Amino acid sequence: MYSKTLTPKRLKPFPLFFHPFLSSPSRIAQQSFIPPTAVGSTAGVPPPPLLLVAVDHSQETPNMVSPHGIKLAVHLISSAFSDVVSKVCECLLRKGTLSLAQVLRYTELSKQLVTNALLVLIQHNCVQAFTIEQPGGFLEESKIVTQYMALHDNIIHRLRSAKFLAIVSDEFGQECMEIFEGLVQHGRLSMNQMMDRHKEKHKALTTEENSSIANLVLENLNKLAQARYIERCPAHQPHIKKPKEDDTQTKKKTAKSKMADATQTMEAQALAAATLMDSIRFLVEADTNTNNAPDDDSKKNPTTEIIGEKRKHDCLEPGTGATNENKEVLWRVNFEEFVRRFRHKCLVSYVTTNMDSVVGIVLRAIFEASRKDETKVKMEKTVPLPMDTIYEEAMKSEEGRSLTLERVRDSLVQLGCEVPIIGIDETYSIDLKKIIDQAQAKEVESIVAKKYGREAYRMFRFLLQRQSLVDTDEISITTFVDKKDALKILFQLWKDDFLHMERLANEGQKSESLFWKLNKVSVWEQVLDDMYHTALNLKLRILHEHELAKDMLKGKNVGDEVKEKRKKFGDKWRVLDSSVFILDDAIMLFHDF
Amino acid sequence: MSLLQKRKAPETKPKPGGNLAESDRIVLNVIKSKKEMAIWAKDLKLETKLPDPIFNKCLKNLLASGLVKEVAHVQFKGRKHYISAEFEPSKEITGGSWYADGELDKAFIDNLQDICKKIIQKLKVATADEVYDFFIKNRVVKTECTSQQISEILKSMVLDNKIIDVKSTGLGEYHSIPIGKICYRCPAGDLGQGLTGVMQSIPCGVCPRIRQCTPDGLISPSTCVYYTKWLDF
Repeated sequence: MYSKTLTPKRLKPFPLFFHPFLSSPSRIAQQSFIPPTAVGSTAGVPPPPLLLVAVDHSQETPNMVSPHGIKLAVHLISSAFSDVVSKVCECLLRKGTLSLAQVLRYTELSKQLVTNALLVLIQHNCVQAFTIEQPGGFLEESKIVTQYMALHDNIIHRLRSAKFLAIVSDEFGQECMEIFEGLVQHGRLSMNQMMDRHKEKHKALTTEENSSIANLVLENLNKLAQARYIERCPAHQPHIKKPKEDDTQTKKKTAKSKMADATQTMEAQALAAATLMDSIRFLVEADTNTNNAPDDDSKKNPTTEIIGEKRKHDCLEPGTGATNENKEVLWRVNFEEFVRRFRHKCLVSYVTTNMDSVVGIVLRAIFEASRKDETKVKMEKTVPLPMDTIYEEAMKSEEGRSLTLERVRDSLVQLGCEVPIIGIDETYSIDLKKIIDQAQAKEVESIVAKKYGREAYRMFRFLLQRQSLVDTDEISITTFVDKKDALKILFQLWKDDFLHMERLANEGQKSESLFWKLNKVSVWEQVLDDMYHTALNLKLRILHEHELAKDMLKGKNVGDEVKEKRKKFGDKWRVLDSSVFILDDAIMLFHDF
Repeated sequence: MSLLQKRKAPETKPKPGGNLAESDRIVLNVIKSKKEMAIWAKDLKLETKLPDPIFNKCLKNLLASGLVKEVAHVQFKGRKHYISAEFEPSKEITGGSWYADGELDKAFIDNLQDICKKIIQKLKVATADEVYDFFIKNRVVKTECTSQQISEILKSMVLDNKIIDVKSTGLGEYHSIPIGKICYRCPAGDLGQGLTGVMQSIPCGVCPRIRQCTPDGLISPSTCVYYTKWLDF
């Protein structure tokens, strides 16, 4: 029932606080009482909470995921877990945030199966639970309902496990990698479970004492937490308060603040509320074996404390933090940090290729120097840094040692900075969004060039520059494409949803002009969806090739012919797998950066 | 009938000194009224309201006498357009300076682009005016070209990623160019040729049938011919 990668023995002690219903069965009874016919009906029955979810397309909610993004996520889940788990996951991805009763209704599975599936998904950080207050009907009191939302991003991160492992292995070596691998495989682990894993893995080699194993695990855990590659699991079930309309406080709010509030969906609020403040999130405590006895002093003796961190969310719900002293601390992979690293790497590699290596060195130095001040992954601009800091940081690297101040300044100009006329307070901030935009545009342009030819590439670039309606003649003249050919290409691009077209009739001349515009947002969304589709296809083709080669791969002593076939299969597999690997970089460029 | 035709023939002949036949004059006036915009033969016939044989003969006479000439329309290559001899066809008819006989002069454009690229490679960084000055001083091409044409060529090369446009910073290589002025330079590496997108290296990324492709459909990743071809080694 649980994940294929889970061993029941090791994961038997699912902490009870994972699942809200297990601790309050009466709530389950209350919820499951709602008859299936009540879905969508309004007479006498309060509307299902699904309808209460504000769908805001400017935010990243499960509802925003593109069709093939969902299909890929479902494929990843179904290939790692059972069909029941993937069914529940698909239901949450397609319908949005749901309560247990609604999942039961939509999936038509038994309560036990759905509960177990949700447990697996929560264990693997693919679902986040939160509670909301559902208003009661006539003579009914309002009640607290637990909602489950699928975390699409985290599901897609399963594609990247090998990349995460490679980073940890390169940076911290084999021992850290083993601990980290446990988290990748099992989603969430306590320190005790990590120690168990270590013992099991090395039982043949060592007879170390428990205390030395604990020290070893603790030390490595520390390294990982300091680098922020792992984090304490977020609050398992934060409570989200819905703003009351008659609240006097809201009346006092300005129009601007109201708009800001409106953009935050319930899902975003839940994620924000679940996230622990940074000082706790990466805190490794010496004594984590607190299953039975409360250990109030444990917080007072941290082995690692990240000093100077700001509190991320000021209003964490009381009692929702995972740092409840009575419970074992659970750890998981901190995807955010990896995405940040990948983003930095992508940006440095882009400027190195398209500008020069010195620009890459300078940008890397800026990232290193401003790391502590980054508040989110998608930073549009780097934190303003004084020239001296950038120069000092650049000098730390081997390649940057020979750089002159003038050369660094020149690179900053290449990165789009303006040199202040008066040299006092010389600070620089890089527009990262612009570089990301350029990298994204380059990817789409290469698709257009390959699919429609070099002339279409020029026309596409022209329309991307203009971002407004342009007449066919102007496109043809500017891009040096014959007018008839230009029209053909434009129609083809329009047919494939790359362009928007408008006709303008001229009655005097009995003719009509065609105007074209590139709708960047929708094209970019389509490209991302195609990327998900491509990744899914590559994964399916890998399965297909495996299926074909199943018989051939059996046995050890085989003839030359079979060996040759195996080699061919190996080559095919490598091409497909490396394609998924590089395609994932492109998906991140369009979605995560 | 045959006698009548014989008699009429000399009458429609254009006489030296501008004494045209009445029908010829009607056709010529309509063509002249259109000035440099020219007129399509069918529209001309409708406007003159002359019977077909007479209209054709008039047109023939006018062409023979050199009072009218035929021009190729860039948008309607199959349609015959006529213009009075004293006018030059407009930009809308010819397609502008890059068109020759209604066709895009690709050889000329390619030639200019090659030369411009070489000049920019030599100068490292140059404004459009500097490239044009280089053209004039060194008489690189036999045919005449304007600074406007050079500017258009450079812009098209930017679109083609053969060169990149940057704003002058006034520092280093840009010291001779005023700050903020657009100048052109060659990109690092040969970006124009090496389009290294991820999607274009995978069959699905540029597949014309991607919208019809489903896991269990007629077109699917397991039955895909593009994949089979791609993985055939």
